[in-house]
Amino acid sequence: MSMEYSKEKKVGEGTYAVVYLGTQHATSKRIAVKEIKTSEFKDGLDMSAIREVKYLQELIHPNVISLIDIFMAYDNLNLVLEFLPSDLEVVIKDSSVIFNAADIKSWMLMTLRGIHHVHRNFILHRDLKPNNLLISPDGIIKLADFGLARAVPGPREILTSNVVTRWYRAPELLFGAKHYTYAVDIWSVGVIFAELMLRIPYLPGKDDVDQMEVTFRALGTPTDREWPDVSTFPTYNKLQVYPPPSRDELRKRFIAATENALDFMCGMLEMNPTKRWNAIECLQSDYFKELPPPSDPADIKIFHD
Amino acid sequence: MSAEVEDSSNILPSEKPAVDSNKEEKKVQKRITDDDLYRHSSQYRFWSFTVDGLKEKRTEINENATAKVKEALVKFVDTKKDILSERELQTIQSKATPLTADEELKLVGFYAKKVQVIAQHLNLPTEVVATSITFFKRFYLENSVMEYDPKDMVHTTIFLACKSENYFISVDSFANKAKSKKEEILKYEFKLLESLKFTLLNHHPYKPLHGFFLDIQHVLHGKVDLNYMGKIYDKSKRKITDALLTDVVYHFSPPQITLAVFLNEDEQLIRKYLELKFGEQTNEIGTTPTPEASKEPTDSKKPDEKKEDKSLSQSKINVDKLLETIISCKEMIESFETISTQDAKLIYAKNYYCKNPNVIVQKLKRKLEQISQDDSSNEPRIDKKQST
Repeated sequence: MSMEYSKEKKVGEGTYAVVYLGTQHATSKRIAVKEIKTSEFKDGLDMSAIREVKYLQELIHPNVISLIDIFMAYDNLNLVLEFLPSDLEVVIKDSSVIFNAADIKSWMLMTLRGIHHVHRNFILHRDLKPNNLLISPDGIIKLADFGLARAVPGPREILTSNVVTRWYRAPELLFGAKHYTYAVDIWSVGVIFAELMLRIPYLPGKDDVDQMEVTFRALGTPTDREWPDVSTFPTYNKLQVYPPPSRDELRKRFIAATENALDFMCGMLEMNPTKRWNAIECLQSDYFKELPPPSDPADIKIFHD
Repeated sequence: MSAEVEDSSNILPSEKPAVDSNKEEKKVQKRITDDDLYRHSSQYRFWSFTVDGLKEKRTEINENATAKVKEALVKFVDTKKDILSERELQTIQSKATPLTADEELKLVGFYAKKVQVIAQHLNLPTEVVATSITFFKRFYLENSVMEYDPKDMVHTTIFLACKSENYFISVDSFANKAKSKKEEILKYEFKLLESLKFTLLNHHPYKPLHGFFLDIQHVLHGKVDLNYMGKIYDKSKRKITDALLTDVVYHFSPPQITLAVFLNEDEQLIRKYLELKFGEQTNEIGTTPTPEASKEPTDSKKPDEKKEDKSLSQSKINVDKLLETIISCKEMIESFETISTQDAKLIYAKNYYCKNPNVIVQKLKRKLEQISQDDSSNEPRIDKKQST
């Protein structure tokens, strides 16, 4: 155990890591220590751990979790991360927390700034969901969990489509595309935005097949007209063809959303990945320019005293 | 760190919009460039050095290891001084001499080449081969070959490079293919990761290669043959892998290395391209401040004068400056030599004797026995002589 930090309380256990809360002695700062359970992996250092270390070392940004230090102890790899007491999933589920349109805008702005930084460093996150958008004590959103991240692929590189937690999975992934890019992350943000407005998951598929059903029922089945050759995906023929929702239907579903907010959402939930908005288009959208201005993160009341 | 890393943390957006939409206002509100992003990379922050800085680093590693080796030798001699003969002591002294920094560098270069050959033999993708070489060399920027036998690190680096580049192979099948042992591959994996300062992301020159390949065709549209460009591309790709064995990776940015390799293939083409591409522009382009590029040539005793000179005359400067940088990169690639297997063996043996002085003693004993045996059997020797 490093003398510089103390581990005080176990707060979580995943498949490959245990997370502790602790203190950095030199600064008395609260920190989180992610202890990677290396002994359980017969292939040496685990891929998720390698990815997390690899990408967090490069990404230094206010909206990306900061990796303070790494050390080895008892043959275990320990990542010292900044202390982030909450996340968007907790906030969405906590019915005692009230948040408004300006708060949502603030969260979207911070999330997209983080994603823009990740993308301009040629990295895909591939697992964006409310649970991975952590919140600092002063209300700042931080992208976390880079265990599935990878470099942006070259033109003909073949990738696995088995990425992103199901509800936040882009249509190209649902179709099993062997190549995809930044657009998969933006789709996830679109779904998160919808979820923030509805306060329930927007596209909660029960399994992979149902996910397609739920997605296309809500947003329409893509056709070759707006997405050339989409019908050549092997699973396409089995699909029920739903018409895309009319603007009025969307207005009814998202009662509080302004026209700009709907445009913003539709830009991110565009079926055709090449037409989907990128992080820059999202950040420049009129949604961020109209009233109300995004809340000051520190003013959003999400913590109980 | 000896690298002259510019602190540019203040350019990260926090309160202002992440993207400056108005390109016209570039001068007022600084937009983050690719150069800025590169300066944030671990490759720049931890693994870029000035020529002197790199030399210093290697000397330091060598000196520390030398001290340890000497200490161990003294201890060895001390504990055995009653048993060791004068002749044995002398032999130890002459054979067990610690490696110099230069010998270390040569040995690392030799084994880095081995890493490349083995990784290529295993049919790994170019990027994995490149990362293997990079990891291996970086390990020996932090450790001495006198402490970690390069033979032990070859497979470990290739295996970690596979995982880091998202090209997973199970350790069993890797061990099988590489004819190595699982335990040996994994033994120093942690040590390797630690020596890499937990930084795994590499910017290799292959992406710039593809970028320039496309851009040259665009800028010289109609003036360059596609088949010809394809050939240059393939050749350059191989040359880039070779360039990764040299020190240019510590002094130049990946696009600079790519241009240097291109320049070597077809100097006229590249000069024309750079002229057309950057000739008209001012400032900002072609000045990626890698430590070496931002340094004035060492022969100039009056760097300030020179700098001023350059900033006064405009447009052409940057192409000239860029060419100057690329040419010095090219020269550094060309000046690199790998040593012969024979020379590598000699250095390796020297290193081995340092760590195992006992072997010297035993060898000497065997040799002496041989001689005395030969002496006691004079006749057959004469016989032999006569028979020949």
